[in-house]
Amino acid sequence: MAGFVAILRKDLRLELRSGESTIALIALSLLILVVLVFALDPVGGVRDAATAAGALWVAMIFAGMIGSTRALLAERDNGCLRALILSPLDRGALYLAKLAAAFIFMAIAEAAAIVLMVLFFNLDFDSRLLRLLPIIGLGALGFSALSTLLAAISGRIRAGDLLLPLLAVPMFVPALIAGVKASGAALTGASFGASAQWLKILIAFDVIFLATGYLLFEHVIGED
Amino acid sequence: MDALLIEARGLNINFGAIPVLRGVNLAVPAATAAMIVGRNGAGKSTLVRLLAGLSAPTAGEAMLFGAPSRTLESAARRRLAIVTHQSFLYPNLTARENLEFYAELYSVADVRTEIPRWLDRVGLASAADARVRTFSRGMEQRLTLARALLTRPDVLLMDEPFAALDADGVALVADLLREAIARRCAIVLTAHQPIAIDGLEFDLYEIVRGRLLPLRGGAIGASLRAQSAE
Repeated sequence: MAGFVAILRKDLRLELRSGESTIALIALSLLILVVLVFALDPVGGVRDAATAAGALWVAMIFAGMIGSTRALLAERDNGCLRALILSPLDRGALYLAKLAAAFIFMAIAEAAAIVLMVLFFNLDFDSRLLRLLPIIGLGALGFSALSTLLAAISGRIRAGDLLLPLLAVPMFVPALIAGVKASGAALTGASFGASAQWLKILIAFDVIFLATGYLLFEHVIGED
Repeated sequence: MDALLIEARGLNINFGAIPVLRGVNLAVPAATAAMIVGRNGAGKSTLVRLLAGLSAPTAGEAMLFGAPSRTLESAARRRLAIVTHQSFLYPNLTARENLEFYAELYSVADVRTEIPRWLDRVGLASAADARVRTFSRGMEQRLTLARALLTRPDVLLMDEPFAALDADGVALVADLLREAIARRCAIVLTAHQPIAIDGLEFDLYEIVRGRLLPLRGGAIGASLRAQSAE
């Protein structure tokens, strides 16, 4: 537990100093939302709540890939990842610490993206947004779990940065569909029952991604 | 005889079709230092990585504390420290914060006294709160030594620890090595050519065409000093 806390604290301290990941994530989210707003802006057109939910998840996925990659790339400077591998720290704890850092960066970016989405899509700041938060939280957790594992794999191979989206997005599609549907239901004010099945799928994928990442990380992060 | 803390058994490694190390055998018990010399590209760094378990050999086995180094338990990893060409330091953290991070990772006791003591020991007390990215190569190397020895390891692997150090820095490394040997640490260090250190006798080896050959029949500290004096 001490190692987990040490790594997470160090990552947050480094991020507070540079702001590299968070600024990049928010900027990318902003860019994606702006592009989608203009793309979907026929007069009186399709800028409804369900579309806003889709746009938010698109922004989340692309921003999340940067967050996860950064969280592990920072460890490759000066060979620090090797130091962590050689340290007494349990590799599962290392995975959880990097996942937690990626999740926090992603959650901050998502909070900003939700505000932008409300503004750009002419939605209201009301209680429906509160229903959106746990859905987005589950999505960010699942995507962080998946992409942290895949970033560890892609970081070991040449042009691995290109490989990450090719692996992550297709694998995340089931959770993405569930997340978009659940978010759309939340934003349109539909009953909880309407989104319950999608939430269950989202939770199931989170459990799968977390367990898989925790168990496999040791094998993908090992020697050169 | 003391148990072997560092051991290589028939280590081979190829990079593609090119053999880099062939049939390397090495045995280093507690309170012993082995110096491995060789030209650039001889395979010194590769051997250190193999011994640490950071690379997988093509054949043979590297052992630390009597166990394969690639599958060391957490408790054994706590007893290992390594100094390589990469400092393992975070450029955007200060010297103190870097040491605090590693101290926490290794559950070092008495952090409040140990970290200032080590910063002072390696001559970086006045730069304790400066970020590592502002350090010269020599300062970074000094902090790397503090990072490695802060944890009081029983096995120390050092890849060219004298690189980038001035005369004071070399003397510092010599002091640190003597202290480590005094508390029965097993050491493997690499260098381009043999280096004499007063009060320390090394088992000296050279890597020639991928093979690890003993030089002058083993412990040669005295002869090295004589050679140095000539």
